[in-house]
Amino acid sequence: MKKLIVGMALVGMSASASAVAPGGDGCGWGNLVFEGKSGLPVHLLATTVNGTSGNATFGMTSGTNGCDTSGALTYDGKSLLAMNGMLEEVAQDMASGHGEALTALSVSMGIQPDDRAHFDDVMHQHFADVFPSSDVDAGQVMTNIDTVMKKDNRLSVYAS
Amino acid sequence: MARLAATPRWQALLHINPGATLRGVGTSYVDDADFFLSANGARDPLAELRATRKALAPPHSPARCRFPARYRFLAEHLGWHEADPLGHCQAYHDWRERMPIGQLVLVFPAAYLNSPSSMFGHTLLRLDASKTPESEYLSRAITFSAQTAGQDNSALYIWRGLAGGYPGRFSVSSYAQRIHQYGFLENRDIWEYTLNLNHDELDWLVAHLWELRDINFDYYFFDENCSFRLLELVNVARPEADLLQGLRVTELPVHTIRTLEQAGLVTSRHYRASKVNALTHAAEALSPADRRLAARLMHDPSLLESNAFKARPPGQRHRIADVAYQALRIKGRKSARSRDTAQASLALLRAVQQNPAPPDTAAAAPAPPEAGHRTHLASLAAGSLDGRAFGEFGFRMTYHDVLDRPQGYLDGAGIEGFNLKLRAYEDGDVELERLDLVHIRSIAPRSTFFSPISWFVDGGLEQVPLEHDRGLGLQIQGGPGLAWQLGHLRPYGFAVARAETVPQSEPTLAAGAGAQLGALWIQKPVQLGIDFEQLYFTPGFERQRTSLTANVPISTNNALRSSCRYESQDSGGITQCQIGFRHFF
Repeated sequence: MKKLIVGMALVGMSASASAVAPGGDGCGWGNLVFEGKSGLPVHLLATTVNGTSGNATFGMTSGTNGCDTSGALTYDGKSLLAMNGMLEEVAQDMASGHGEALTALSVSMGIQPDDRAHFDDVMHQHFADVFPSSDVDAGQVMTNIDTVMKKDNRLSVYAS
Repeated sequence: MARLAATPRWQALLHINPGATLRGVGTSYVDDADFFLSANGARDPLAELRATRKALAPPHSPARCRFPARYRFLAEHLGWHEADPLGHCQAYHDWRERMPIGQLVLVFPAAYLNSPSSMFGHTLLRLDASKTPESEYLSRAITFSAQTAGQDNSALYIWRGLAGGYPGRFSVSSYAQRIHQYGFLENRDIWEYTLNLNHDELDWLVAHLWELRDINFDYYFFDENCSFRLLELVNVARPEADLLQGLRVTELPVHTIRTLEQAGLVTSRHYRASKVNALTHAAEALSPADRRLAARLMHDPSLLESNAFKARPPGQRHRIADVAYQALRIKGRKSARSRDTAQASLALLRAVQQNPAPPDTAAAAPAPPEAGHRTHLASLAAGSLDGRAFGEFGFRMTYHDVLDRPQGYLDGAGIEGFNLKLRAYEDGDVELERLDLVHIRSIAPRSTFFSPISWFVDGGLEQVPLEHDRGLGLQIQGGPGLAWQLGHLRPYGFAVARAETVPQSEPTLAAGAGAQLGALWIQKPVQLGIDFEQLYFTPGFERQRTSLTANVPISTNNALRSSCRYESQDSGGITQCQIGFRHFF
């Protein structure tokens, strides 16, 4: 019975995880929108002991492919979108027309402060063009954003 | 030189323990030979100062690139004037370019639903590029964490965490990822405290952070943990604030916030709701009928085409679809990605986009963690047990029980460590009433969108009722349960499994199972709890317990508590009532 009790305690306390492994599964361009659980490591008391698996990162890599963004300190729009979970945040912000993830995206894409509200509006209006299906990945979304920007007078200067 | 070695800044740069924790007073917290230029540097700040001066004096010295903050310290105190003393340090300059200095923010991800062990919380620092950052998502996170490297099992993990078996290191990463981790995956509210460190102070801190790259510290769960190390780092920026004064046996993140606040460093506080709390806030704004529709939409997005949905005005459609979307995403994070869920998510987002609405108000901030009661408890009570008067002294090392003053804590979550109660009876007997090593309770209500399993576990020594008397027994018990929220009332039920050994009874070992039913009524002026427990034991006896408790806070750190309890084993029953004063410190 002790085992049973301890087992229950483990279930209750380990409900969460320490960290998404940098460069772990599902990172990068292939990141699909609306991801589920991505094999998060589960530790008892992970949250109190504040542990991290693997080597500490010190922001030394510049990470552009999305698989080592946790070490990167500077982002362009692409590496931001490739970050775990960010695609979903951006989708939600675009649907409602505003939000911190959308702002982070426009700032990291180098869009000037005066144009950011316009960027938000345009992305909101073209939500269906940017997220045409539920299986788009970060690379496709970036391409779609680019296509939408090219057709807009004020935003075309930011398109690649 | 001796005077210089004793200055607070030099002591801070070497992480000398000024007596803040028990281990190694007067020596460095750093446990890494790479950090010291003198063989005896960890124990002798003067020797380290001399060795540093020697190593850093020559122009183009590579040691300057390793220790830019130490260089600045020596240059300022010894009057070294060079035009570009660190000009040859390319890697350092590259890194500094990516660490622009604007302001420093202490970040506290608070407890999360149904995980009382997270109540101790976490702390990290956020470095913004300016005092008004364009996007906090793009800021840097500075963390100190144990390097657990590998797949230690949980028991080993705890043991090594407690005993100092893991090295700890500082790291710098993306703040967006930390928000994602704590706020979205772990569903923790995040509190952010802006510190008033100026550009010059932050320059000390960032230059020193570079010196800590790949440097190992000891890591101890209770005192030398993430929170304490961050305090050491801030101490480098402003040594005169004397943040490490006073001995601490434990350093809890909430203490760190209080320490910084008392030292006058905190200028503002910002609340970032977890995904679950954001959803709860949005769902509360809906009518019950709208909430039910949202719950059905989660599973069947084709209802977006139904008349019921289309008949509602656009703003309402927006909010219903938004709640359904948020709930679906929170649910979706617990399992592998499924095509159906992804398609439903997109359909709901399209409905959100197609039905414009004015922006919602953000979830209101609850009482911040530092407004809660302190974490050590001493109590005095007087009462009577079947007509025998007694006085009771209590001490609890940590942290909160479900009936303590709720502000700053998570409702329905209690975690107690080392809870001692000693009684002196009128006839002169002194008895240990109980000594809980651990006592954890998570009473998490189920709602339209969440179905958490509540649970409890406790273990330790306690007086248990015997047929004609009471006896001290060693026990461990726990079980899963369900809870609901009806207005301010939170009824709950637990299944209970228990093992105990009582030397006075025969046989001494007993295993039991049963159920516990109860309810909490938690309001600001008073917190009430009632519970009833029935257990059946293998040697063939049964036990009942009924208790009623009222807690009345009279200030943040003082409260009155009274309780009555009836417990019986087979025939004999014992009634006891008491009233007492509780003080947190």
